[in-house]
This record gives sequence, structure tokens and C-alpha cells, in this order.
Amino acid sequence: MSNAATQTNTGGLGRLIRRYPFLPALIILVLLLALNGIFEPRSLSFRSMTGLISTYLALMMLSVAQTYVVFSGDIDLSAGSIVSLVNVSVIVLMQKWGGDGFSVIAACLVGALIGLACGLINGIVVAGLRLQAIVATFATSIFFTGLALTVLPVAGTPAPEAYWTTYGGRFLGIPFVFYAVAAVAILLAILMRMRLTTQMLAVGDDQQAAFQSGLPVTAIRIKGYVFCGLFAALAALCITGDTASGDPLVGGKMTLYSVAAVVLGGSALAGGFGTVTGSLIGALIIGLINALVFFVGTPSEWQNFVQGLAILLALMTGILVSRGARA
Amino acid sequence: MKKAIVLALTATTALAVSAFSTYAADFKIGLSNGWVGSEWRTQMIEEAQAAAAAWKDKGVNVEVVVQSANVDVPGQIAQVRNFMSQGVDAIIINPNSPTAFDPIFKQAKDAGILVIATDSEVSSKDATYVGIDQKAWGAAGAKWLAETLGGKGNVVAINGVAGHPANEMRVAGYKEVFGQYPDIKIVNEVNANWDQAQGQQAMQNLLATYPDITGVWVQDGMAAGAWKSIIDANKQSSIAATGEIRKDFIDLWKKDKLNSGASVNPPGVMASALNVAVPMLQGKELKEPATAGQYGNAMYLPIPFIDNKSLDEAVKAVDGKPGYYSFTSQLSIEDAEKLFK
Repeated sequence: MSNAATQTNTGGLGRLIRRYPFLPALIILVLLLALNGIFEPRSLSFRSMTGLISTYLALMMLSVAQTYVVFSGDIDLSAGSIVSLVNVSVIVLMQKWGGDGFSVIAACLVGALIGLACGLINGIVVAGLRLQAIVATFATSIFFTGLALTVLPVAGTPAPEAYWTTYGGRFLGIPFVFYAVAAVAILLAILMRMRLTTQMLAVGDDQQAAFQSGLPVTAIRIKGYVFCGLFAALAALCITGDTASGDPLVGGKMTLYSVAAVVLGGSALAGGFGTVTGSLIGALIIGLINALVFFVGTPSEWQNFVQGLAILLALMTGILVSRGARA
Repeated sequence: MKKAIVLALTATTALAVSAFSTYAADFKIGLSNGWVGSEWRTQMIEEAQAAAAAWKDKGVNVEVVVQSANVDVPGQIAQVRNFMSQGVDAIIINPNSPTAFDPIFKQAKDAGILVIATDSEVSSKDATYVGIDQKAWGAAGAKWLAETLGGKGNVVAINGVAGHPANEMRVAGYKEVFGQYPDIKIVNEVNANWDQAQGQQAMQNLLATYPDITGVWVQDGMAAGAWKSIIDANKQSSIAATGEIRKDFIDLWKKDKLNSGASVNPPGVMASALNVAVPMLQGKELKEPATAGQYGNAMYLPIPFIDNKSLDEAVKAVDGKPGYYSFTSQLSIEDAEKLFK
């Protein structure tokens, strides 16, 4: 990278990126949308966009979940397992309670509570007992998966039709998932303005300094995990809507994708710097990369390889842009 | 910054590894595979691609587009959505879940797309299953074993992944058969997760625990592992065990004169499904509607069986192929067309 070039044209960009850390991710997102549109014009149709959102809404939620622990420098490797556990619990409850409108809502509420409880357990184990986050949540992930397997040993059990037709349906001509996105956007905007977000970032930036300035560091970190559990539960409700069934292993593979989405979105894994908006964009980037790999006509035996390579390149591009801007 | 641009350009080029063909096809069929990691799946896709090319001789252009990657269930739903965006006429899928595709298959059908599942049955009433009956597959091996043992003896079973739908159906198949032979006793059943090394380990433990077993019912690649333990224990003359269909094992079977028999789950199932899909796309109607199976949407294909009598044919069929090549069979275009009015 030539320093002269960076300095001349990144003065303004640098300030912008400090203000909006998700800017590089947004640029990559727009670029990917354009490329998808070039290779398959129909992929930008309203129906395809709705499809993209309804499939990746779960990963978007899980990335938000992951962001709240990454803010304070922690990580949650059990996030995907919480998704599985909530998914099978909700499915089993809806079936037990008869599957009418009321039982569906009640099951969703119980699902959210399960997510909160899982988050609280993680928070106590990591922040309360001071175990290493990466290892402790790896252990709880096995624990939660085990629980999910006892709730529903075999993938299956259909969700009530009312549930998934709502998730995939439309109201006043607008797909349900768009309302869901809007509701989450409002919720996140409120959360972003709360003092808690700033406190989490302060803890992630310098835990010692945060402690010395009188912040309740342990409580803040536990709250991060509780938020993480709650959003993982919301991710599970989305998956249940998109797959209409229970699967005790459905979320396992999503955990690392959620971490990748957080980083793609411009947040620092070390904590102290980042936005939830970026993570939402990061999740969509992963979805669009997978679609693009297919639309350009990659031979099947190369698809995994090219997918991995493309995610790596997106990561590098994002980091190079922000580093160049910050220099 | 410059480097970043160069990188971005490299990314674009890397993505565009192969230019996509734009010739006009009569039918465009999407093949979706959600699990990579066995040669069987690779062979499945290659055979389906070859089957599509073979339709050209019949004057039908069939273009296939493939999505094959290790994905979770949402990832495979995204594969289906990508096919829908591309406007395919049919989707043939080896599904990662029996029930999770109900909503997306409904959307595909509403968009006028024919959906066929293969290898693993799906509950969706908007899809048709074309493949083998996993229960009959399990039963065929058990029937061979029971008859080989003369209807009596102590038997162990080595199963795949507990809770996996195909595994559960296969287990139900052998249980039903062994139930008809009162003198056959299943002394133990273990899970070795369709892994050859775990199959070998499980067999070692079983041989140590039950020195008097005479029969082993074991599935797929685990059979090669189990047989290795049997041979290591020098018990190949006193034990009959089910086998598998890869060339390496078939050659060993022939060389060591093993007492074995193998139900064939041919990788050609996806090609068979494609040969059924094309007449369907041409608007032809099945003589007998596909209503078999637990979900009432299945069309079962015949299950070949290799035993000591037909072993030489199998050896010939895989001759000259690499060791991981699976013995296969397909529903030919002619046979498929005979199923239609």
C-alpha cells in the first residue's frame, strides 16, 4: 500500500469510518448486490430479495447476538446450540399445546425465556466464574446440544402450518419478514442509544480502565450474554419459520458464520469497537457470496473452495479499507 | 488502497472461474447437494450430469446447474432459492433434512418448478421422491445374512448415525427380517456413525466381547472397517457379514473369498431421478402415481444385491475404476419412459 496515496484521499474517509465502522461492509454489500445482478438479473427481483431475507434473517439475528458479547471482548461459541435448543423446544411445545394461535405465541415466549436462560448461564460461567470465554462457551455448546437432543432426538416434527405460512406470508402486500426486519431495526436503534451499549464497548476497550472508572464490569458482561441468548432465541424463531420443523443440530454450523459476520461488519473481535448494523450487513454478505458463487457458474467441486476464498477476500478488503482509512 | 482494489478484482476473477454457458436448453435442471465429503456424493453428481448429456441423443437438451457444498439446512434452502431465481424447470435435491423443506418446496411448486428428492425421503407433498426404499435396503442385507446362517446364530449390528432418518429405516428393515427367524439372536447393536475407522473399532470390541458371533449386519463404508477387524482376528471363515459397494472392498471380497453380501444404494439414484424428471417436464403422466412410502410421495427404484454368486459381475463392472468408485446402477432413459403413459 502506498502511503502517499492513502494519506491524500482518506482524510475524510477516515473520519467517516470512525463514525460508521460498517461503511466498508456496506460498500462490499453493494458491490456483491451489483455482481449478483450482473450474473443473474433475476436475483435482484423483489421475490428473490424476500427469499434472501427470509433465509438469512436467522443468521442476521445470530450475528446481532454475537455482537453483544464481542462488544465487551467476549465470544459465544454456544450461540448456534442455543438456536438448536430453542428451535426444538418451540416445535415440541407447539405440537404439545395443539398448534393454535395462542399456543404458538406461548411457545415463542417460552423459547425466548429459554434463550435468556442459556445466555444467563453463559454469562455466569464466563463473567461470574471467570472462565475463558472461548473454552467455557464451547463446553456449554455441547451441553445445550445435548439438551436439544433429549428434547427432540430425531430431526422432524412439522411446525403448525399457521406458523410458517405467517413467516413466509404477506400482510397488506408486504412480506412478513420485512416487518420483522423493521421491528428489529427499531429495537436495535433503541438499544444502540442505551447507556449499556457504551458500557459494553468501554469494557471491551479496556476492562481494567472500565473497572477503575467504577463500571460494574461483571454485570455488564453477563448482560451481554443475556442479550446474546435472547437474540439467538429470535434467530431460532426465524429458522423455525423458514424450515417449519425441528432439528436438534440445525444451529451448530451457524456459530462460526455469526462470528464471521461480526468481523465482516467491521467490529473488532478484541472488543471495544463495532456496530450491530455492521453485523447485519455481514450476515447478508455471507448470503450473497454463497449465491454469487453459484450464479457465476463455479463448477460444483470448486464451490466450497471459492466460497471460503471469497469470504476471506471480503474480510481482507474490509480490514484493508478501514486500516488505510485509520492510518 | 491499491492493493485492496487488486484483491477485490482477484476475488471477482476467482469467482468467475468458469464462464457459464448460455445456449438455449429445452430444460434446465438444478441439482442440489448439501453434504460434500464422500466420493459417493461426487459420483452421484457426475452420473447425473452424464445422464443429462445422454438425453441429447433423444433430441432433448437438458442443461444441469449444480450446487454442491457443505451447508446447513438454511444453506440448502438458499440453494433452492438460487435455483428459483435462475428460473430452472426442475430441482433434484439430496436433502439434508426430511421435514425442513416443506415451505420452500411449496414456493418452488407455486413457481411452476418440479421438485424431486432423491436418496433421502422428504415429507413435502409438493415433492416426489425417486430413490431406493431404505427399509427394503436394510431388509435385503438381513435376509441374505439370515439365509446364509441357515436361520440361526448370534448376530451383531453396526449402525450409522442414531436419529438419522435413513439409518432408522434401515434398522427397522433388519429388525423386521430377523424377527421372522426365532433362532437368530441380535446380541448387540452399536452406532459407528457411518465412519470406516469407527466401524473397525466397534467390530474389534464386539469380537472381544462376544467370541461366539457368527453374523454381522453392517452398513456402507463401515463394512470395510468391520471386515478388517474380522480378518485381523482371523475369523473370516467362521463369520458371515454384510459388505459394501466400493471397488476396494469388492476386490478384497474376491481375493480373500469373504462370505459377504451387499445391498446396493447406487450413486446413480440422482441420474435415475433425472431420467424420471425429464418425461415429467415433457408433460407425460406416470402409469402409476408415486404414492409409496411413509409420506405417500415416493417412487421406489429396484435395489441391486451383490452376493457371492453375482460377485464376478460386480468385479467386472468396477474394473479399471479408482478404488473409491462405487458399484452403481441407474434407471435408463428407456426404462424410465416405460413408467409413463
